[in-house]
Amino acid sequence: MKYDVIIIGGGIAGLTCGIGCAEAGLSCAIISAGMSALHFSSGSIDFLGYRDDGEIVENPHAYLDEFIAHHPRHPYAKCGAETVRSSLSFIRDQLSRERLELFNNGEENHFHVTALGTLKPTFFSQRSVFNERIREAFTSHRKIAILNFRGFRDFYPAMTADNLRKNSLFKDIEIIAGTITLPAPRTPGRNPFEFRSIDIARIFDSEKYLPRIADEIRRAADGARLIGLPAFIGITRYNKIHERLEELTGALIYEIPTLPPSILGMRIDTALKTRFAALGGVFISGDRVNGGEIADGALDHIHTVNHRTMRHHARWYVLASGHFFSGGNVSEVTGIREPIWGLSVRGPVDRSAWRSPEFFSAHSHPFLEYGVITDESFRPMDPGGATVRNLFCVGAVLADYNPIREGTGGGVAVASGYAAARRIIDSITGAAS
Amino acid sequence: MIKLENISFDHCIKCTVCTIYCPVARATHLFPGPKQSGPDTERMRIKSPELVDASLKYCTNCKRCEIVCPSDVKIADIIQQARWNYLKKKFRIRDFFLSRTDLVGGMMTRLSAIANFFISLFPVKLMMTLVLKIPYQRVFPRYEQGTFRKRFRSIAAAQRAFDRRVVYFHGCFVNYNNHALGFTLVRVLNAFGIGVEIADEKCCGVPLIANGYIEQAKRNGAYNIAHLSRATRDRELTVVSTSSSCTFALKYEYSHLLELDNSDIFPRIEYITKYVFSLLEEAAAPPLKPVGLRAAYHAPCHLERMGGVPYTIEVLRRIPGLDLVILHSECCGIAGTYGFKSEYYAISQNIGSDLFAMIERAEPEVVITDCETCAMQIAMNTPYRVLHPLDVLAMSLGE
Repeated sequence: MKYDVIIIGGGIAGLTCGIGCAEAGLSCAIISAGMSALHFSSGSIDFLGYRDDGEIVENPHAYLDEFIAHHPRHPYAKCGAETVRSSLSFIRDQLSRERLELFNNGEENHFHVTALGTLKPTFFSQRSVFNERIREAFTSHRKIAILNFRGFRDFYPAMTADNLRKNSLFKDIEIIAGTITLPAPRTPGRNPFEFRSIDIARIFDSEKYLPRIADEIRRAADGARLIGLPAFIGITRYNKIHERLEELTGALIYEIPTLPPSILGMRIDTALKTRFAALGGVFISGDRVNGGEIADGALDHIHTVNHRTMRHHARWYVLASGHFFSGGNVSEVTGIREPIWGLSVRGPVDRSAWRSPEFFSAHSHPFLEYGVITDESFRPMDPGGATVRNLFCVGAVLADYNPIREGTGGGVAVASGYAAARRIIDSITGAAS
Repeated sequence: MIKLENISFDHCIKCTVCTIYCPVARATHLFPGPKQSGPDTERMRIKSPELVDASLKYCTNCKRCEIVCPSDVKIADIIQQARWNYLKKKFRIRDFFLSRTDLVGGMMTRLSAIANFFISLFPVKLMMTLVLKIPYQRVFPRYEQGTFRKRFRSIAAAQRAFDRRVVYFHGCFVNYNNHALGFTLVRVLNAFGIGVEIADEKCCGVPLIANGYIEQAKRNGAYNIAHLSRATRDRELTVVSTSSSCTFALKYEYSHLLELDNSDIFPRIEYITKYVFSLLEEAAAPPLKPVGLRAAYHAPCHLERMGGVPYTIEVLRRIPGLDLVILHSECCGIAGTYGFKSEYYAISQNIGSDLFAMIERAEPEVVITDCETCAMQIAMNTPYRVLHPLDVLAMSLGE
């Protein structure tokens, strides 16, 4: 097969890049080995959450230039501040076309509540997680209820409530935990204790149970008009279901990201894939790129596990294969490695240097900053040390940023994916004119 | 006994992504989903086989769990193996006949005129429902008079006149139910200057695997490997198939599930659209004429699993005047013989309902799909004619 662009990896970085290229009229294929880390994400998109000293960044837009000046090797520095900013509007607009609306608190970060009851700064959240009405309610409401379905074992509202109470922001607010019972006829022979978020989300997706669920919520909320539920208010019709549930309960309802599978992440995944397909992109799922020939400083073709005999050709390639979790980098006794070509990586051989002694260290863990090294344009070096001129590396596969310590995971994926798309489009249209 | 080569369940990180995308788990709570039925309980079944759970039989073996798994666990293979290793085997006359497509096909094609009339009668359908537990709503495929193999004999000599040839694995459906597709393949390949041969073959084994007749599936597999190998080895011929599920069985189920050595024929077997794609890339490809057709394309599960869908789409995209709506990939629900069983009929229809609605929204003139049973399911549940990608290509080649 021949394409203008082949992207290896179908997560948020690969899809952002693919949508950018496809929108410019380029023929584009994404090859994805299994579902992406979006299924394990909070479904909010971080931009820049913490300073180097661990302080929370209030206005990441204002802080970006300073951050870049202090971190010249950071992917944001390679993108450039302007590209980072336009990438954020780009992803919001693309998701909006699929009717998934992201909320951003102007130029400032906002907090979303985690399942543990901590607050995490983030830049974009889905409107069912945070919006202006919820922001308002946190200052005007005196009572919050955190509820769960009876039997759902991936969420403990009492713990969430306990931790929230410890936060000085909520010192004047009563926080209660409660349980609601699942409509029974749906579950013959199944123990509700086996349910995962997806099973419950399906019950929401079938709107017929909403009035009953709303009754249960009203009862358990005990007068609270601000209610937190684990994020399973619908898989496909979430806008309508969220709206209807608020109407039926007369309360403000916000979603709290759960343990995997993340329904919030799935919504982003579905929206981006739908958008990519609508633009004519080809999404090849369940296949793994296992090699390809680099000759004269350029990647000539790639091949995959499923098509041993057939090569895929493109003018440009993008490696968006993720970090260790997704297999974009692998760790071995003798060091870390990029598994497809053995591209140059940053990361010491000495394994004891990879981690901090404490699990929840304020400095996070050094291994999070290991990955593929690139030049200013995100182009990597082959094992011989020569730059591969038609291959861009984007997203979590990259070295030199720490998504946890900085709160930059989603932002780097989006910005680097978008930057690669811009460079590809410029070079192709530039060459044609 | 734990087989060391088959512990892919150990790579499962319990992320539940497979259960999200399992069409059966979505349609019914009776199936706990591939994660629980596969890797979760496999580690317990190995130690205590009595822990096996009858809900395993709800799995359709569509393989969508394996497509989405981020950890490369062979989930559907684990479930199929558990079904025949641990579940008590019960002989059911219905399952015996549904899985013997070649035996039944052989009988039916001899009496096709009577047989087609007979199985369309309501009292007969009612008896089938009551006695055999085959749902009366299910529309049976029509049987042809005689076999494709027999009719092929009359053109075999002419096909040998081509210098460049392929071996065609026609499968049971073409042999007994749809001769036209076989002859369409011959005409299309002839237009590219390629002749068609056929080799000795038996049912690929897909319905046998689905109904738990693993020993019979292995025997058929060994037979097919031996005969296809003999027919192609010396001349390096390609084997093509017009059935996505036959191709999937020959290439992947034989080695992964039936533990047969198919390495000799593996690189030479191609699903037809991938082969046609490589022909269209050649300089001497014949010109294509506009077809003036609006179609919705449905990607079958097994073609999706082996990565064949982009080739079908690319071949269709090159056909001028084909206004193609590519449907979001969903299981149609029939899953071979699954939808022919009363106990699964409602689930099967429920799984397919999203697809039928999407087809309706696409407002096509025809639906295109690669798989014979998907075609049956779509034809039964929508008002549209269902074509094979080759049918459309044949139109474009000026038939």
